[in-house]
Amino acid sequence: MHSMKGKARVVNVFQTICLLLLAIVVILPIYIAVANTFKDSSIILDQPLSLPIPATLENIISVLKSPNTNLGEMYSNSIVLMVAGTLLTVILSSLAAYYLARVKTKASGMLRIYFLIGIMVPYVIVYLPLCILLRNMGIPLGIPVLIFVFASGNISFATFMYTNNIHTLPIELEEAAAIDGASKFKTFWVILFPLLRPCTATIAIFVGLGIWNDFQTPLLMGQVKTITVGIYTAVGPYSANWGVVFAYVFFAAVPVIIVYLCAQKNFVNGLTMGAVKG
Amino acid sequence: MKKNKISFGFVVPAFVVYTVLLVIPIFMAFYFSFNKWNGFNTMQFLGLENYFNLFRDVRLGNAVKNTVVISIVVVIIVNVLGLFLAMLVNTESVKSNIFRIIFFVPFVLSTVAISFVWKSILSYNGVLNGILTTLGQSELVGNWLGKQGPAIVCIIIVEIWRTLGYHMMLYLAALQTVPQELYEACTVDGGNRWHKFKSVTLPLIIPGMSVSFLMSIINELRMYDIVKIMTDGGPGYDTETIVYNIVSQGFSNNMVGYSSAISVVLFLAIGAISIFIVNAMSKKEVEM
Repeated sequence: MHSMKGKARVVNVFQTICLLLLAIVVILPIYIAVANTFKDSSIILDQPLSLPIPATLENIISVLKSPNTNLGEMYSNSIVLMVAGTLLTVILSSLAAYYLARVKTKASGMLRIYFLIGIMVPYVIVYLPLCILLRNMGIPLGIPVLIFVFASGNISFATFMYTNNIHTLPIELEEAAAIDGASKFKTFWVILFPLLRPCTATIAIFVGLGIWNDFQTPLLMGQVKTITVGIYTAVGPYSANWGVVFAYVFFAAVPVIIVYLCAQKNFVNGLTMGAVKG
Repeated sequence: MKKNKISFGFVVPAFVVYTVLLVIPIFMAFYFSFNKWNGFNTMQFLGLENYFNLFRDVRLGNAVKNTVVISIVVVIIVNVLGLFLAMLVNTESVKSNIFRIIFFVPFVLSTVAISFVWKSILSYNGVLNGILTTLGQSELVGNWLGKQGPAIVCIIIVEIWRTLGYHMMLYLAALQTVPQELYEACTVDGGNRWHKFKSVTLPLIIPGMSVSFLMSIINELRMYDIVKIMTDGGPGYDTETIVYNIVSQGFSNNMVGYSSAISVVLFLAIGAISIFIVNAMSKKEVEM
């Protein structure tokens, strides 16, 4: 019995060492980026791992002052796209899911499959035809149309999640509301939608973070200066000035890391539950 | 129940947005793929010629090879290591929780941000070579992103680093569905760790495992951002992936028809793989 306990302890120590080593590997690049943001560019290559003492704000300031970067514009573009794109996805998908989950007709079943197909589309197939389609329709590429593009790309996943979720809710509440004379829309909005809040949170995190981090869509559809595309275009001329590159990365990553650390349970659920259910 | 039906109007907005901005462009891609077109002049019908040309395209062949190599290596490593890590952090303790939070961080960051960080480390005038020089190991200094072999290895490392925590979380979710009583029963029957893993854990996490495999395969087949930023497909076309190739042919070279043909094949391949895995998974579940 004693030796078994000893063995268990050895295994435990071994496990912790494995985890620690991997954690260092995971954190090291992030540490390098953060520490060197606050160092003079000239010493980064000599002492990349040292702490930034004395710290300098030179890199941050040069990004803030750079003539070809407008951080405020980049942030506001990304925030508008993220908020509006997520809202639109949530509204369109939850409404559609209400019909798909509660109406049991052949047409409804076929529509479910129709919406589901989008989940496995590699989005690269869409960009070029979509740009041509919008050009022919005379719609300029920019923030407004991108909001709808992001919604179109997320409707499949969100509708699927909502439909499954509505299935798990008892229909009696809706029937009671119908007897009270509430319209279908009111029933949905006042009774069903609040019950879907956990599902909405999952979808909002998945879709919102996806839009915030998306690079390909704003790059290929009009080079819209979101935070990702803005950094990509701005870093070009500085490609060897790592201090400035790190400062850009700092501005892109810090909001995400702060929100992640505050709501990490929701983040993990949002990003993995989506996959598990899908 | 009252015959007060939910109106079709609830679906219409989603249907319109989804159809116009996603489904119609996909049909357009199929249509373009049978034509020679630069996006501006009149189209010229080619039939299947674009598709035949795919097989003769050396540049595309290289992109396919890169994508397949990256996919196979990353899929195997993140799934094996992801499951291993998930088992290590599958306890209710502060320590496990901290490790989970740390391992998941790279996945929430944008690929643009992490690609630049890794580029700064791996570039010829980057941090890694700086460290090697400082340590007096100048002969080890290498042009990691400047040659095909090392560059592909670098891309693989970054992709593993980025997605490992995500797959750990997928496996963790699967592990937490395994009832503890089964492990206890296994112990009573004299089973050791390996027996528990093989006879209890593995069969019960097959659904979660399929999801994890499917997600990693689809993610790797769509690889674009990291390559775009770290190597920009270079040197030459050496580190291109399929999606990089499609974008480059379509947007830079205006070969609308040809790039559409490539993306149609990619679309069908991903569809076939998804259906195959989902089917295999539901069969396994029935067996249990």
